[in-house]
Amino acid sequence: MHLRIYRYDPHSGSAPTMQDYTVEPEAGDRKLLDLLVRVKSVDDSLSFRRSCREGICGSDGMNINGRNGLACLTPIDGLAEPVTIRPLPGLPVVRDLIVDMTQFFTHYSAIKPYLIEKGPPPERERLQTPVDREKLDGLYECILCACCSTFCPSFWWNPDKFLGPAALLQAYRFIVDSRDGATAERLDYLDDVYRLFRCRSIMNCTEVCPKGLSPSHAIEQIRQALLSRSL
Amino acid sequence: MRVFSGQVPWLLQRLTALFLIAALLVIFIALLFGVLPDYASWRAFVTSSHGATIVFVSYLAVCTHAWIGVRDVLLDYVKPLPLRLLLLMAISVLLAATAIRLLLVLGAALFV
Repeated sequence: MHLRIYRYDPHSGSAPTMQDYTVEPEAGDRKLLDLLVRVKSVDDSLSFRRSCREGICGSDGMNINGRNGLACLTPIDGLAEPVTIRPLPGLPVVRDLIVDMTQFFTHYSAIKPYLIEKGPPPERERLQTPVDREKLDGLYECILCACCSTFCPSFWWNPDKFLGPAALLQAYRFIVDSRDGATAERLDYLDDVYRLFRCRSIMNCTEVCPKGLSPSHAIEQIRQALLSRSL
Repeated sequence: MRVFSGQVPWLLQRLTALFLIAALLVIFIALLFGVLPDYASWRAFVTSSHGATIVFVSYLAVCTHAWIGVRDVLLDYVKPLPLRLLLLMAISVLLAATAIRLLLVLGAALFV
């Protein structure tokens, strides 16, 4: 297969280039990550992140033929050649396909991604009804791969101010959690011109999420929660 | 609801959109069923107190909707704050001038 991969080393002083590789899939190679590992075995200067190779760690998010996705979940079959692979758009490149995710995780921290208990801690675990637990489905599965946020034009326009779909999906995960006691503070934080309301419902996030989640739906739910509170 | 929240403009844009959809629907039905068949009947409606109020309120909805839309575009694309404020002021003045002009025209037609 013909791969065309973005190469860039900011310390070299050279401009980014696209480098061509030809690699033949071997028996057992199913996903794009398998091919990248083969390329790496013949050119160890190529840099990319990967770890679990099964769509759980979220390390190998990249732009594949113009669309963000995880290399480990992208089947080789059906990929148009040359397979053009670039780093996730909108974030600074550290090297080749590795991006600096500091901004992404700054937004994630800002939404306080943990339960905030208002009263004294219970003696045993915090119980939740099955109905309340079901409300977390489609939210807790996010692996923070950044495929959604870095494919969102609103994030490209205001990466420092708009929290992005991943952080907003996580924000709603805690807003809707029956065990959390800081819903009002969370909604206050999001009721801002930039943090939430830069979202235009373009829905690229939902389109590319490799886990099949819908950040745009979560964002809509936050807007509705804000509206219900105001009324 | 905070005065300078992100929610107020978002809500206003949607409410004005709903209002304008309803207004366009009424106009479409009026045209379809010949409720106001000719220029004279349309003119009589617009220059009546009810008609003039509906037209003016609709135009205010257009202005509000447009201002928020333009503001959103400027927030995304125009980063220098002085230039952004200048453009926001310019569009505000332009929309306000057209609304005042409409008010004067309707007032003249209504009271003359």
